[in-house]
Amino acid sequence: MEGTSLQPHLETLLWSAATVLFIVVGSYLLGRLASWVGGRLGLSASERKKVFWGFLFAGPWILGFLIFVLGPSVASLYYSFTDYKLGETPVWSGVENYRELLLGEGAHGRRFSQAMYNSFYYAIVGVPLQVGTALLMAVLLNQQLRGIKVFRLIFYLPVILAGGPAVLLAWRYMFAANGGFVNVTLQNLAQNFFLFDWLYRFFIFAVEGFNGFYAGISRGDPIGPLSYTLPALIGALALLSVLRGEWTPSRRGRLMTIAEVVGVTVVVILIGRGLIADPMDPTLLYAGGLLALVGALISASQDRVRSARGWQIGGLVTFAIALVAILIAGSPEHQALYIPAILISAAPLALSLVGQWTRPKFVLGGALAAVLCVIIVARLVPGQLDSGQITTFARPLVLASTIEQPDNLDYLEDTYPAAAPSPLWVYGAVVIVLAGLAIANNRYPRAQRYVIYAAFAVFALLAVGTLVDGVRYFQAFENISAATGEANFHFSLFRDTTRAFPDQNRVPLWLTSELWTKPSLILITMWSSGAGMLIFLAALKGVPQVFYESAEVDGATRWQKFYKITLPMISPALFYNIVIGVIAALQTFEAIYIISTPQTQDNMASAAFFLFTRTFRQLFIGQGAAASWILAVIIVLLTMLQFRYSRWVHYEA
Amino acid sequence: MTTLSTQTKIAESRNAGMPQTIRSILRALPLRPILLYAVMIAFAAFFLFPLVWMGGTSLKTIEEVGQPQLNLLPAVPQWSNYDKLFHEDAFYRAFGNSLFITGLVLLGTVTSIALVAFSFSRLEWKGRNLVFALMMGTLMLPVQATLVPQYVLFYNLGWIRTFNPITIPGYFAGGAALIFLLRQFMLGIPRELDEAAMIDGANPLEVWWHIIMPLSRPALATITVFLFVGQWNSLVQPLIYLQRSELFTMPIYVAQKLNLQASPLPWQDVMAASMVFVLPVLIVFLMTQRYFIQGITLTGSKEG
Repeated sequence: MEGTSLQPHLETLLWSAATVLFIVVGSYLLGRLASWVGGRLGLSASERKKVFWGFLFAGPWILGFLIFVLGPSVASLYYSFTDYKLGETPVWSGVENYRELLLGEGAHGRRFSQAMYNSFYYAIVGVPLQVGTALLMAVLLNQQLRGIKVFRLIFYLPVILAGGPAVLLAWRYMFAANGGFVNVTLQNLAQNFFLFDWLYRFFIFAVEGFNGFYAGISRGDPIGPLSYTLPALIGALALLSVLRGEWTPSRRGRLMTIAEVVGVTVVVILIGRGLIADPMDPTLLYAGGLLALVGALISASQDRVRSARGWQIGGLVTFAIALVAILIAGSPEHQALYIPAILISAAPLALSLVGQWTRPKFVLGGALAAVLCVIIVARLVPGQLDSGQITTFARPLVLASTIEQPDNLDYLEDTYPAAAPSPLWVYGAVVIVLAGLAIANNRYPRAQRYVIYAAFAVFALLAVGTLVDGVRYFQAFENISAATGEANFHFSLFRDTTRAFPDQNRVPLWLTSELWTKPSLILITMWSSGAGMLIFLAALKGVPQVFYESAEVDGATRWQKFYKITLPMISPALFYNIVIGVIAALQTFEAIYIISTPQTQDNMASAAFFLFTRTFRQLFIGQGAAASWILAVIIVLLTMLQFRYSRWVHYEA
Repeated sequence: MTTLSTQTKIAESRNAGMPQTIRSILRALPLRPILLYAVMIAFAAFFLFPLVWMGGTSLKTIEEVGQPQLNLLPAVPQWSNYDKLFHEDAFYRAFGNSLFITGLVLLGTVTSIALVAFSFSRLEWKGRNLVFALMMGTLMLPVQATLVPQYVLFYNLGWIRTFNPITIPGYFAGGAALIFLLRQFMLGIPRELDEAAMIDGANPLEVWWHIIMPLSRPALATITVFLFVGQWNSLVQPLIYLQRSELFTMPIYVAQKLNLQASPLPWQDVMAASMVFVLPVLIVFLMTQRYFIQGITLTGSKEG
């Protein structure tokens, strides 16, 4: 076969020429169209001309947006609700794809949730290391030293190289378990330096233990009471930070931020669960009705009548569309389920249209909103807190056991997890307490102090209690398997790796063991953290020297200057780098593609990597589209977080 | 200066019992810079090492590659590894394809981005802010959101296994961040220039070509460098669309070198191909790093 066939290249050139022609004509027509519309809207001749030229020049992007972004996005939304496989006709499958992925059902759902756990690992372990390296490099480069530019160049170089496969391949070679450069170096060092040997073995022990534990978590092994420890700790620590001293605006802001972030997460999870439930949870309809009603009430109370009208009409139109859709397309069961919910949610809104915004109407509106609240909570509660479970929930508060039958495997594995209240309730409690404190904003100082002390005591006791119970829960599994000889598969990797301290001949199996693949990837991302470094460097250069000088006059040490001046001043850059790092963790692709093998692939895969294999290797477009939408929603939420708080962390030094 | 003197003072008090000569030597030593340089050199070694290791390995024999060892450089440099590479048809094809695609993408993208940025910065038109806000909104959208449906689009167009899915979208001013970067630069060019030209009867197209484009050279260079490195390194799109060995670009070619079922793995060949692949990027980066660092700081800190 002749290797120098140029036919594909010629075809491409031809297509390129056609595309250029298409864009020129398209942009021209777009400009003409815009100027015609402008004429209809009553623009003067000179303004129409400007509109024509404006659209003509912006034409390439607008056309590209329509063809490559908007059109495909709409199509992808449709595909995500089908079982579309490339080459076959799509068949509507409702929320099946989303349910499989979000609940981790089936082989592919499990792979997706494994990928999400991997991404989360990169975010919580990798991003701090990466951002820390970048900050350290930036601080070094911010010194007045000769040849600093050369170092800046070298520090940034890996970013360029890490985008392509070449140096990633070199890393793969260096990471080889036997005879690879990294391990040979480590072993040589360990053999020659007694202290390093212990450090090295401790490093192996710690990494393997942590990754073994995380493997259990990501496999969905039951963690029992420990699932409450995290929210309780968040609440306790947040309250601890305001327990003593003055109530300041920055403290209020801190509580509000934590409440917002946790609250939005809980709401997103609840909405997600409601949407993918089969049938869709009618609670969402009540919540939508409540939202529109509260929006209208707040707008009206601030005399923004048009905005209130917007909430009312917008809500009612949405409900009307939903009603029509259900009447036409819904099955009888769905109609029986949703029509009452739609009517009940829409009724308060419709009522609020009657008459002027007088005091009685506000009272009535508030009462109806309260009724909707009660309905929502009542709908959320029954599955969670019935038949004596409130006492189960209250028990950790007094450090008593929630585990009643620690010698019964069925109870530990099935009955207890099913009966225990969802940890979301604890997150909800944290949000309510923190947001309540922030909103009340020290209007009643005495009451506030009591609330803080009491809530802190509750959360702290809950954290300690669930921790103790959690340990007992794990021991119970161990005891049962020891007594009965039944194998205990939960957290088996963790138990294996922590059984004995590594001996002298142990080496990290970087790319082959599931305990080491993620640390390998994190090491590579640390190596290429130069982009964040440049952002930090720009921020460091922006800190006014005056601050340091006056601090020096006051006799501040180097560390004090760093903590009290530098860190607060560059906090926007810090926050930016963290959010960008988390987003990048979800999207890691090249490094995983190069350094993973078919055996380790699932264990390293990020969300983007899952998307790639599912869509372009197995051609399941439908599920790939659903995964891409989940990914997109997460990334958009993270970006909004960045927008929301990049202003808040701004310099207030 | 103050810190330096305090440090020497501390050193002085510590070494009070030492002979005069040692004390004076210690005082003369600039301890802080030395320490800083040591840390920075350690960092630099960490960052450069994989590249150096790659270069060293590409000159080793297969025996040397197979042994566990710490030798950075081979006993005898095996230039024949490169010679072998330069006799491979597949290598030339991949290199040519990469050049071809990168060239087309650069040409199309830079031109279209320049047009769009001009519209957003130098032209006043009703609806501009709305369209601009829409464009900035797409920054939030991750690539993955449109990757799947675009694949279906190109599949339906019959463009899988052609270069088109990679080259064609470039003509449509892909990359909102780069448009933003160029727009910011163009906003800084004095207004009087194009107003004067407009009064002389020039149309916007002439203003764009004769006035704005020449003045925007630094920003255009920044964008070109960004696009070059991104496209040359790009792995995902070629992997998805090119699926045919005649069409492979350098990144796939290099990555595929490892997929041979040989034992021991011919790492020296892989690393030689990697070196050749990295070289253009390295040269471009070293020549234009000034633009690079400006660009990152500009786009990266735009919200900060």
